[in-house]
Amino acid sequence: MFKILNIFNLLFLVSFAQAQVTKGSLLIKNGTILTVTKGNMENADLLVENGKITKMGKGLVAPAGTQTIDATGKFIMPGIIDAHSHIGIDVLNEASRPSTADVWVGDALDPLDLSVYRALAGGVTASHAMHGSANAVGGECETIKHRYGTLNPEEMRMEGAPRTIKFALGENPMRVHGEGNRIVPATRMGVEQVFRKGFEDAKAYMAAWDLYEKEKVKNPAALKPVYNKRHETMAEILKGNIIIHCHSYRSDEILMLLNVCKDYQIKRLVFQHTNEGFKVAPELAAYGAMASVFADWWAYKFEVYYSTAYNAAILTKNGVVTSINSDSEEYIRHLYHEAAKTQRYGSLSDEEALALITINPAKQLGIDQRVGSLEVGKDADIAIFDGHPLSIYAVPQFTIVDGVVRFNRSKDAADQRLQASATRAETGFFLHKEQHNHDRCLEGAFENTATFFGLERE
Amino acid sequence: MIIKDLILSRWIYPLLKNEKVTGFFAFMLIGSCLFAQSGIPELMPVTQTYVLQNVQIVVRPGQIISGGTVIIQDGLIQAAGKDIAIPAHARKIKADSMFVYAGFIEGLSQSGIPRPESAAGATGPRTPGGQGQQRPRVSDPWNPTYEESGITPYVRVRDVFKSDDKSLEEMRKLGFTAAQVYPIGKMLPGQASLVSLGIGKNADELLLKENTALVASFTPASGAFPSTIIGVMSRFRELYKNAIRLQEYQKSYGSNPVNVNRPIADKCLESFFPVLDGKIPFIFQAPDMKSVYRVQALKNELKFGVHYADVKEGYYVGDLLKSEGKPIIISLDLPKAADEKKPVADSSKNAAPKDLEMEALKARTAEELKRLEGQAAKLAALGLPFSFSTVGVKSTDIKETLRRMIKAGLTEDQALAALTTTPAAQLGVSNRFGTVEKGRAANLVVSDKSYFDEKSSVRYVFIDGKIFEYEGKPAPKAGANASAGGKAAEAPKVAGKWSYTIKAPGMNSEGILTFKGSGSDLTGEWTSSQVPGTNPISNISVEGNKLSFTSNISMGARQINLDFNLSVDGNSLSGTVGVGTFGTFDVSGAKIDGQ
Repeated sequence: MFKILNIFNLLFLVSFAQAQVTKGSLLIKNGTILTVTKGNMENADLLVENGKITKMGKGLVAPAGTQTIDATGKFIMPGIIDAHSHIGIDVLNEASRPSTADVWVGDALDPLDLSVYRALAGGVTASHAMHGSANAVGGECETIKHRYGTLNPEEMRMEGAPRTIKFALGENPMRVHGEGNRIVPATRMGVEQVFRKGFEDAKAYMAAWDLYEKEKVKNPAALKPVYNKRHETMAEILKGNIIIHCHSYRSDEILMLLNVCKDYQIKRLVFQHTNEGFKVAPELAAYGAMASVFADWWAYKFEVYYSTAYNAAILTKNGVVTSINSDSEEYIRHLYHEAAKTQRYGSLSDEEALALITINPAKQLGIDQRVGSLEVGKDADIAIFDGHPLSIYAVPQFTIVDGVVRFNRSKDAADQRLQASATRAETGFFLHKEQHNHDRCLEGAFENTATFFGLERE
Repeated sequence: MIIKDLILSRWIYPLLKNEKVTGFFAFMLIGSCLFAQSGIPELMPVTQTYVLQNVQIVVRPGQIISGGTVIIQDGLIQAAGKDIAIPAHARKIKADSMFVYAGFIEGLSQSGIPRPESAAGATGPRTPGGQGQQRPRVSDPWNPTYEESGITPYVRVRDVFKSDDKSLEEMRKLGFTAAQVYPIGKMLPGQASLVSLGIGKNADELLLKENTALVASFTPASGAFPSTIIGVMSRFRELYKNAIRLQEYQKSYGSNPVNVNRPIADKCLESFFPVLDGKIPFIFQAPDMKSVYRVQALKNELKFGVHYADVKEGYYVGDLLKSEGKPIIISLDLPKAADEKKPVADSSKNAAPKDLEMEALKARTAEELKRLEGQAAKLAALGLPFSFSTVGVKSTDIKETLRRMIKAGLTEDQALAALTTTPAAQLGVSNRFGTVEKGRAANLVVSDKSYFDEKSSVRYVFIDGKIFEYEGKPAPKAGANASAGGKAAEAPKVAGKWSYTIKAPGMNSEGILTFKGSGSDLTGEWTSSQVPGTNPISNISVEGNKLSFTSNISMGARQINLDFNLSVDGNSLSGTVGVGTFGTFDVSGAKIDGQ
């Protein structure tokens, strides 16, 4: 079934394959390797060949001419992965209807985003560039590698990473569509109905295509159903080809989405924010749903008042695959600090804490076979710190993506922009001037719609 | 116009000048249907045959005939070369030693397309939105209409083109004689057509070639899906695939309708058919580098023919564009250098220490501007043919922009090719336009010096053999203290209060601009019906009658840059304001005190 859709998927792969990803070779000498999954190695070397880790151990020799980094006294860890961010994209929210499963932020990648370089400066080598949370069903997201320096958006994609999609519960979709447009969802019940209606439409859509495929065998002139990208994407979720990442706060709503997924036999589900996840940790673990949380950030709106800094630890101890995310171009620069907070609030071990920002987010994005730990055969996405990364004194020194050094603290220039304005000597260096008073998920939902001269532009 | 009619007109004309016989003849002529469309005809010229003697004929880029003769007769180039007999009835044009070029062609343009007063999309009743803001009401957010979505590929130029629009004369006097024009709109604004920039009573009279391309851009809709680039990309794919489906359906139904439900007609999807058939390309507007990559992604996926248009950052993606193997359309919208104004007179006393960071940023900015200026030269060096888009360009800037491109390495021949032969080839009309050769349409530009010379003036323009005559630049008077802009007018009085209106589709924004001081001490602030509070103004620059300034405002979590470029004329001002990524809008205003 779905032959035509497979053809489209194939076309996607073909067009992506055109981007040539730059890969490097290098030898990292004499450091402390924190593999995250297989313990630590003291005074060890790590050899990278053509973008992959090929050897780890003592006294490694590289072919002549290979770039060498002396890591004596330094700590080598897997590149940090952020399961929830919005950097490297030009558009967050297509807020024009309650379900926009048909859009994809991967269509608007921004290789010029300086935030990507800043994330590298915090040891982050990959992130999950997500659609915003204005809609119950947002668009598809894109897992990007921080190959800062390329101008080609295609080169930012983590080739082969599974498709993911943004869902959102609670106040955001209610506010944008219920209050804003006076349409469903105006309530939390309405949000659930958007999901269920979407999946029912997708089932009908799949059935229509199945019927067409059968009919075509008998009758070559059979009529194709009208192509509908929104239904097609929802159908791909039902088929298990897309991982749901759902913006969530309240435990009752988390259970609601678990029930929806149960009804539609959807297994691949990650909750984002999940501030009340600690209340339903056993249920999440039992279902196999994962959780991506903030270390200690809450109370930025009513539905996020009930929270705790022990959230990540409680989820972890209950067997939920948990990660700590940034949802911010500022937090993304020190996710290692965020992970370290779980040692103060929850007494997680070093490995458990580091897993929150490496192998666990990799699992949540379905890329743990490739990244998230230092193992022979994995992608050479590596961060090198001058101290233990969970120490408040540690400073990232090198960040490596596919064996290419993308951040080198000793060569950090004052102006790292790839393109400057041709008309104004502006810095572009401002960070958020305002305090963090809400998550970035809703960015663009109001500011970008109908605020200026009645116009809507991203 | 057939020859017989012209001969007729040659003897009618003197009679028409006699009022007594005019009425009679007009009556006769109406009766004979010769001028049935308009009733009384405009006065015909005495002769439609012109001769340009001893001119430099630039036949095509790189091919010049010195001391040549060009004969224009009945709308066509009758002869161009040396040793040509001059017909007795030809009017001799004073063009000794002047340069004759083929009439220029705008590769992409909105000449003759009036700006709509309100947004194309529905801006019906407004309801309170979240956070107290307002948004236009869409009939059904789940299923907005094509118009609400900015999807209007069925709109034809002949239905919206105004043959009496003043933009035609603005382009004509620069030497442009034809333009590929498209309707104003959003993601799929409509069908482009090649039109003449001559005189016509209506669009049809000026239409040279209809439906030359389907225009597409990443411009989102207002309030309705697609309201972002990602929405546009998705919707584009969906429309394209459903157009393929509808075409297949119609074909199959056409061959055998028995036992099959009829296909429902769809003017939008049907507009895609010529593209699907490979008869016309998409002209895809891709001003910045990222847009170029996005267009390429769509093209690779859906396999349509495309001309990249309005390209400004081709410097970065020259190889990509070259590899696409099709001529492109680059933008003549070249930003001006930031602050050419003298450094603030910070004389000796408390001169601030040099801001090294700002110096470095300024250098970076200058470097970036050089890249934009160098785009044309770089693409030409790569061997990629291009024409010019004038979309969003002030006609008065065009000659200067061409000179800047030439200064950055573009040769004059390359510039001329982009104005003549390349657009003609792109549009498939090389056998009609683009060169000064016998048999081509008499679309010509006559310039008193090389067109690209700073001191040159266009003196004559011929379109379809019709002559337009222009004055040359007056020779600078001795002792006159001419400034760079050619005018040494005293600086306008900016200080005081001005009311202004920003015209944006569907909504006007009004407020007060206040300036204090003068010269380099000028300061200002503004209020608006859109933005609460008083907002400071910075980067004020007054040059001649040009007033420019910027303002940075916060809208929620967003910073929005406003970039005003105004002309002050006594107590009124007009110009444009660039509003962040929202677009550029017309501004008008008047002084309300401080006169």
